Amino acid sequence: MTTTIEAATAPKRAAKRPEHGPGSKADGWSRRFPLLPALVFTFIITQLPFVVTIYYSLESWNLVRPGSRHFVGLSNYVQVFTDSQFRRVTLNTVVLTVGAVLIAVALGLLLALMLNRAFPGRGVVRTLLITPFLITPVAAALLWKTTLLDPTYGLVNFVLSPFGAGKTDWISSFPLTAVMMAIVWQWTPFMMLLILAGLQSQPGDVLEAAGVDGASNFAIFREITIPHLRRFIELGIVLGTIYLINTFDTIYMMTQGGPGIASSNLPFYIYQRAFLGFDVGQSAAMGVVVAILTTIVATFALRLIFRTFSGNEGSV
Amino acid sequence: MAEVVYDSASRIYTPGAKPAVNKLSLDIEDGEFVVFVGPSGCGKSTALRMLAGLEEIDDGAIRIGGKNMVGVPSRDRDIAMVFQNYALYPNKTVGENMDFPLKMRGMSKEERDKKVRAAGEVLGLTEFLDRKPRALSGGQRQRVAMGRAIVREPQVFLMDEPLSNLDAKMRVGTRAEIAALQQRLGVTTIYVTHDQVEAMTMGNRVAVLKLGELQQFATPAELYDIPRNAFVAGFIGSPAMNLYTVPVEEEGVRLGGQVVRLTAAQRSAISAAGIKTVTLGIRPEQWTSNTTNGSEQGIAAEITVVEELGSDAFIYGKLVTDPSESIVVRGSGRSGARIGDKISLHTTSDELHLFHPDTGERL
Amino acid sequence: MSTSTTAPAGRSAAAQDSEPRPRKSSTGPVIMAVVSWVVGIVFFFPVLWMVLTAFKQEADAYTSPPKLFFSPTLEQFKEVLASGAGPALLNSLFATVVSTILVLLLAIPAAFAVSLRPVAKTRDVLFFFISTKMLPVVAAIVPIYIVVNEIHMVDNIWTLVILYTAMNLPIAIWMMRSFFLEVPGALLEAASIDGASIGRTMREVVLPLVSPGISATALICVIFAWNEFFLAVNLTAAQAGTVPVFLVGFITSEGLYFAKLCAAATLAALPVVIAGWVAQNKLVQGLSFGAVK
Repeated sequence: MTTTIEAATAPKRAAKRPEHGPGSKADGWSRRFPLLPALVFTFIITQLPFVVTIYYSLESWNLVRPGSRHFVGLSNYVQVFTDSQFRRVTLNTVVLTVGAVLIAVALGLLLALMLNRAFPGRGVVRTLLITPFLITPVAAALLWKTTLLDPTYGLVNFVLSPFGAGKTDWISSFPLTAVMMAIVWQWTPFMMLLILAGLQSQPGDVLEAAGVDGASNFAIFREITIPHLRRFIELGIVLGTIYLINTFDTIYMMTQGGPGIASSNLPFYIYQRAFLGFDVGQSAAMGVVVAILTTIVATFALRLIFRTFSGNEGSV
Repeated sequence: MAEVVYDSASRIYTPGAKPAVNKLSLDIEDGEFVVFVGPSGCGKSTALRMLAGLEEIDDGAIRIGGKNMVGVPSRDRDIAMVFQNYALYPNKTVGENMDFPLKMRGMSKEERDKKVRAAGEVLGLTEFLDRKPRALSGGQRQRVAMGRAIVREPQVFLMDEPLSNLDAKMRVGTRAEIAALQQRLGVTTIYVTHDQVEAMTMGNRVAVLKLGELQQFATPAELYDIPRNAFVAGFIGSPAMNLYTVPVEEEGVRLGGQVVRLTAAQRSAISAAGIKTVTLGIRPEQWTSNTTNGSEQGIAAEITVVEELGSDAFIYGKLVTDPSESIVVRGSGRSGARIGDKISLHTTSDELHLFHPDTGERL
Repeated sequence: MSTSTTAPAGRSAAAQDSEPRPRKSSTGPVIMAVVSWVVGIVFFFPVLWMVLTAFKQEADAYTSPPKLFFSPTLEQFKEVLASGAGPALLNSLFATVVSTILVLLLAIPAAFAVSLRPVAKTRDVLFFFISTKMLPVVAAIVPIYIVVNEIHMVDNIWTLVILYTAMNLPIAIWMMRSFFLEVPGALLEAASIDGASIGRTMREVVLPLVSPGISATALICVIFAWNEFFLAVNLTAAQAGTVPVFLVGFITSEGLYFAKLCAAATLAALPVVIAGWVAQNKLVQGLSFGAVK
């Protein structure tokens, strides 16, 4: 019947695309179809400004002197890299982002471990702990600046004064630290929730087996829990880095980047150049540089941290 | 008509590597209950899923009722499947689970209700129709999975190890129920299992697979009595057939220091194959242990383990002349055999199975 | 057998050993519970203080040492509401709700296309979406402003709706994708064999199963959209100002009227905090249902 014909053409079938079913052209498009609205929408809304930003970065354009706008190629970028302030601000950004992410993850881990046991009122405590994440960053920044860190009226100094340390003007003396405290406070709940999800999704029987095998609680934590949490922590670090590099609201409200540029990060510095210095070309160039740096930082952070955890986690 | 034909069907995951299912050819008649059996990784589930449309048919064809199913999506094949983990819709009640496939076919509500109730009665699910799967026991969920399959009255039933999640006692009872149900409904059924007891008790015919290739497709009796190769011989039957690779001598073969006589036909088959050693197969129940003196001395073995099963006992031992070779003998349940005892075993030549020592093919 | 004679003796010895244990383990958990409560309250304290201060008279608000006891008043809230908090709240509500709905409508099919029935270049697609968040909005604000100005959409709440949708889409797709990946493959196969088309399968089987995930994703979008400041402050003026803009505007004009500030901040934070509190179970459930894949 048809078998002999099919047998004759069978060897070629692996190369030719089938008419129906997976692998066919029609199937490819039917799979792409649901993706297209989101893809097209995002592409238009984000790439258009990005391309325009790149275009502006190649121009020398200061809004104060509109007539002098002209094409200068890459000289904005050269200026960016030779700008000593830019380097300082980049350092600030790295310190702020890496520090905040790591501290938030560490604190989140501790809080998640604390919440992982059942105790009366656990739900309420969890509610209290996630609230900082829900508050508008500008409001939170305000709270930290005035209620907590104000040298005279702030609570932090009030609490520290019995120990004789209650006179610091945090905002002026330790601006970057102050900003870091505020953003860690806000982002720790996010990390905590992610890690809590990880803790609660551990397979119970694996933990029981380890207990029977004679492992102490700490050994169980180190050998089983941490590898299991690795994916959740990874996600927290990636998302946290992406969002925290772009911290703006907090700096704007707390320190205005000051004193000088002591607590400016890259987005804030760009803002100053664009809105206070009116230099569109320069700020655009900085923006592009930041986009590249962000990508590198996000990838680098992951590799660096998880090299210490050897790849013992086998896939189940 | 719902006969199922596998026509040199293959599933190749990576080109160049060994196929998961290699040129499988089977002719399954309408209304037949066929079991695919084999060890893990033999391709039995893959072959089933190719029929279901859940795996590609990379080469060859599979026909249901004469129609080639290559490229046809699952929903258009008029088949029903019972999954190993039941795959019940967790947010729907039992009734809704069974109603779903009928709803997809566009049946009217009254007709659907009728069919669901009928299927529910057949499987004893009537009182559970309003419950959700999470409120049911494993055995009850399994019935719901079956109910969802039979309510459709499809051309072919596919079952992928449906009993493996039940406890041993439930398994035996459900086995019989499934067989009876299939007889009643008369639908062509393909059943996949790794348990050869299920295969032997349930199937009209059984296909034994190994590493993607069909070893033998025959009735249980034929598989048991006339296994086509050493693999089938060792796989079917529990405990497994005793298999020894032994040297050929003039009168027969040498095993355990004794000569085991062969018939003329057996000897000529061996010399026709031109081999000096042969794989000898003896089922546990084909040994007799003779303690009387006279005639020949039997093969000596020392007992290592005794399994008492009430009606029978299985006696495991090792050959005295070659302790690396083990032996299994079926004895009576009251034999009183003890570990360390020495027994002497005989067998008759016409009950022996002979296989080629390299290819494993039956001689 | 040989073990029978020693068994009873061994058992009673073991029974003796196990009795004192319950007494030992009761203090540990109690300490942990207390510690947990203390940590929770300390962490929450700034918020508590903010809310307390909102009820204070100005004189009581900014004192050294800080005052814990005072006679409460609703003055501050009244004044805040009188200075135009209402329109800002409405604007925020509109922008948040509409953008979140848009995000879900776009993200759910897109997530489907990178999980259950994946396209060929899934990894590249996911990377593209997350890469859109790597350019800081600050850098792109000038081009965005120029474009928005050209199409006469400055100070129009719909501008924010569109931009917030684009802002939240990547994380929404990522989250929904993880939830979809949690659905057991056998369920989809069963639905396919039962004759369901992809659309039916989604509607009747998949979406009910991932509904906690949808709630969690929606909540995250609401949080980020409501609290967004930079785009709002630059692209809106009198008409379309959202709550964060209102709050900041309030600060610069009112300077250090601290109690009023706290009242404004409390009002600004209230809707999202309530939403978060109510939906937090869904959030935890959603995140643990498979936030990571």
